[in-house]
Amino acid sequence: MMTLLLSFCRSLQMLWKNRLYPGSSPRNWTFSVLYSYFHFSKKEQRYFSFTLPFQRNIKATNFLISKAISSNKSDKDTSRHPLFSAGTAKKKSEILGYKKDQQHCFPSSSPVLLPTKPLNSEEWEKVKENFEQKNIFEHWMMEQMIKYNCSIDIAKSLLSWIARKNNGIVDYKLLIGYLTLCVSQRQTAEIIDVYEIMKTRYKTLEHEGYTLLIQGLIHSDRWRETLILLEDIKKIMSPSKRNYGDCIKGALLHREMNLAWNLYFEMLNHRIIPNWETFQAFFDFAKGVKNNEFERRLLDILLYLRNNQMYPNEPFAQSIKIWFESIPEKKWKGESVIIHKSGQCLACGRMLESIHLNSEEYEFLKQRVLKDILDGGDQYRKTTPKEINRFEKFIKSCPPFDIVIDGLNVTKMFPKIRESETLLDIVSQLTKQNFQVLVLGRKHMLNGRSRWHKNEMTAVQNMAYCFFADNVSEDDAFLLYATLHSGNQCRFLTRDLMRDHKACLTDEKTQQLFFRWQQGHQLVFLNYYPGKKIIFQSVLTYNTVVQTTGDSWHIPYDENIVERYSYEVPTKWLCLQQQN
Amino acid sequence: MSACFMFLRHFARQSVVPFVHRKKGASLYFTILHRHLSSRTPFLFYPNKENVPPIEKIDLDEWKNTMKSSLPEERSSLTTSEDTLTVIREWIEMCRMLNREVPEHISDEDLKKIAECPSKKSRKKQLKFLYIKENHKKARKEKQARKRAEKDEIEKQKQLGNDEESENKELKNTFLLPLQDRAFKSERDWRNAQAMIFGQPLVFDMAYENFMPERDLKNTVCQLLESEGANRKDIDPFHIYFCNLRVDSPYHKELLNRYKEKWNELLLTATEKSHVDVFPKERLIYLTADSPNVMTTFRHDKIYIIGSFVDKCSQPRVSYANAKRLNLASERLPLDQYLQWELGNKNLTLDQMMRILLTLKNTGDWEKALKFVPSRKYSGFHTDSINSKNFFKGSQKPKLEIKKSFQKLSLNAQNRGVWWKNE
Repeated sequence: MMTLLLSFCRSLQMLWKNRLYPGSSPRNWTFSVLYSYFHFSKKEQRYFSFTLPFQRNIKATNFLISKAISSNKSDKDTSRHPLFSAGTAKKKSEILGYKKDQQHCFPSSSPVLLPTKPLNSEEWEKVKENFEQKNIFEHWMMEQMIKYNCSIDIAKSLLSWIARKNNGIVDYKLLIGYLTLCVSQRQTAEIIDVYEIMKTRYKTLEHEGYTLLIQGLIHSDRWRETLILLEDIKKIMSPSKRNYGDCIKGALLHREMNLAWNLYFEMLNHRIIPNWETFQAFFDFAKGVKNNEFERRLLDILLYLRNNQMYPNEPFAQSIKIWFESIPEKKWKGESVIIHKSGQCLACGRMLESIHLNSEEYEFLKQRVLKDILDGGDQYRKTTPKEINRFEKFIKSCPPFDIVIDGLNVTKMFPKIRESETLLDIVSQLTKQNFQVLVLGRKHMLNGRSRWHKNEMTAVQNMAYCFFADNVSEDDAFLLYATLHSGNQCRFLTRDLMRDHKACLTDEKTQQLFFRWQQGHQLVFLNYYPGKKIIFQSVLTYNTVVQTTGDSWHIPYDENIVERYSYEVPTKWLCLQQQN
Repeated sequence: MSACFMFLRHFARQSVVPFVHRKKGASLYFTILHRHLSSRTPFLFYPNKENVPPIEKIDLDEWKNTMKSSLPEERSSLTTSEDTLTVIREWIEMCRMLNREVPEHISDEDLKKIAECPSKKSRKKQLKFLYIKENHKKARKEKQARKRAEKDEIEKQKQLGNDEESENKELKNTFLLPLQDRAFKSERDWRNAQAMIFGQPLVFDMAYENFMPERDLKNTVCQLLESEGANRKDIDPFHIYFCNLRVDSPYHKELLNRYKEKWNELLLTATEKSHVDVFPKERLIYLTADSPNVMTTFRHDKIYIIGSFVDKCSQPRVSYANAKRLNLASERLPLDQYLQWELGNKNLTLDQMMRILLTLKNTGDWEKALKFVPSRKYSGFHTDSINSKNFFKGSQKPKLEIKKSFQKLSLNAQNRGVWWKNE
């Protein structure tokens, strides 16, 4: 019930965010009238949002609420492997009571004095007289107009007043402000005018000006000039993904497919990762086109996502689905599903790819872990060469393990129980199930202090293999290597997410391999009470990545309302299959 | 009576309303009422709107024409020049128009550096750095000009009529000529020369060149200069060693660059040799924040090593790894034992370390020594908190004990104090 309430609050917050900062929907100033009535306390704002007839929003709330509830229901299904699934960290932080500062959702500025119609010079003078900081009045006014999306006529009247004051000259900053306003309201004619002015007045612009011009011009007939602007940016710096994305969108809008693709490939060559909107634009525009070449390239995009372990967001997933279903003759059918924990897709019954690395990748990862994490260029930083030798000898003398335990991490999870008692309990339960267990720890565990009873530690040593590193060494690195060395069946038990060790790996490909291996091999307690039976959270058996079997595609995607952390993977999938 | 009461109540409510709505947050009634009553509506209403009918149609596009016509020639495209440096210069100029953090004047060298920046972020950082530097320079110049003006003013005043006073000054009877900087300097040099012969060595380990980018190296040299200065002025200075300082390495160049011709007159030992070659190993103690051992007392028979390393790239355990490699003893300052640490890195700057060590050497008093830890990093000494906050007692007690034991251990420091008094 509590979580339900929480998620309700969250959706309400989201609604507010959506309402106050809508993406592209053009608003005129009347919106800001309504809006500016709401500068009261927070609670009243909420109250008003329901009393005023925002039909659209009430619908949206209901939709969001129902969605939140349904997603909560589905959480029960996905809770089988929660450590790395999307939203876990968020939920945990909510349970622990860390809440986001809700103040940020509501702008806390004072009521804004914005004119409601174009003013003439005298009126502007009068307004300025009432304003305290005279020197920044013009810029401040422009900023407020952008913030509350005033009609451009008012902005124009401001500019003409300034121009009249300044011998017909409007400075660059105001021009940029005006351009921002025009772009957000899609006033193409005005954008072209400003473009002309900028061309005559300035030899070169800076990136904000270029970005705005590109964004504005792609909808006009003069969209080809955006390419010139793009070239201009390149003289100074590499264009952003947004610049490229806008140009590609412009080319697609005007049916210049080859140009769009060329820009896309150029972007990839510069190692710029495209926006989701850019990908989505390709899929959206491909609906009407019948072209095998084009189709192949779209599938290449999906493979690009696969190779870089990228997960589409929800609107993009929708676009993918619609495109597949629009291909004539082939009869694709798309469905959004959750995958069973065995790795079977519930819609089509196919098995997903296994998460396990193949032998080549495994060997590669093992070497890299030894070289980058344990050694790290300087063996003395994490351990000593002597200790590495001792460890390697020890590993070679032992049979392959089934479970490697991070002794310190596991025992410190339960501060109320004595450390050695926890360790003994866990080890004895695991060895009863005929697992070969390795316990990694530090030498101070053997000292026989109050928290580490000597007889319990000797009992542990009798049951399991133990390796105690120096007190100043890092035991995690040993843990990783011991697990990798024992082979694919071996798992490791720790709550540590190993993010710092992942960061030691130098290139991204290896990090992805490491993460895949970690998902498949890390054990975490589901819940543990001393003396009770140990239950682990189940380990992922399938690889969460875009995948295909030729006649089917499985694409994981991020839901809109779930906040996913970088070390988590999405739980929702888009299943596409051909029906014959 | 009741009618009167009613009236009063009504009146009270009316007048109270504008203030009430914050307290009674959810009350719809009050907010609506408030809105009606308050004259602070969010939109401008022009008082003379009714009087003046919308007479002229405002020419909204007038500014465009003037903007277009003010320049004589027309260009076909935006950029005309092909040279990257000029393009970047123009670009910076445009950024300045948007009040971005970019410098006003920029030299060709800096421009080249900016053109070579690998990423947008590094370029932005570089520009911001130049911007801040320029601002400081400007502020300094302004201050100088102001001071000069004040001085001129005073001079004028003197010339105008206070000649008598100046005559009086000349006749003043003094025992000494005012002590000049030169006298101070020669006195310090004597002391430092003594330290070169009899003083306790203190080693700066210069083996970290490869771990630092250029700007950190410059910072390190700044800190070295500062700590050398602090040592020089002390009553009982260390004998400073710069170990592992290779000739013509970036360190050496930067030091030469800062000290200029003074470098050869400095009263310290710079050597290419490692500290383990210069001193017996068992006397060396490496000071590093990663060490597991806490420094309890300053020992006058040991040689402390400080790594001259500004670690802004967060590479943990580098200096501790060095100590481990050479099998040296290592220690860290008892910061947690004495201070209530709040924020910031436990790594201190070189000059702070130097001042702490000097204070320890002279007095053996940890509290006095740790005053040199920047005060933003801690909220107070542990003893203070016991006095002021009783509810902390339980948790603070063990730490107090630790402190007592520390003071017991620092026996030789106390002995020194006695020796000092006997003198």
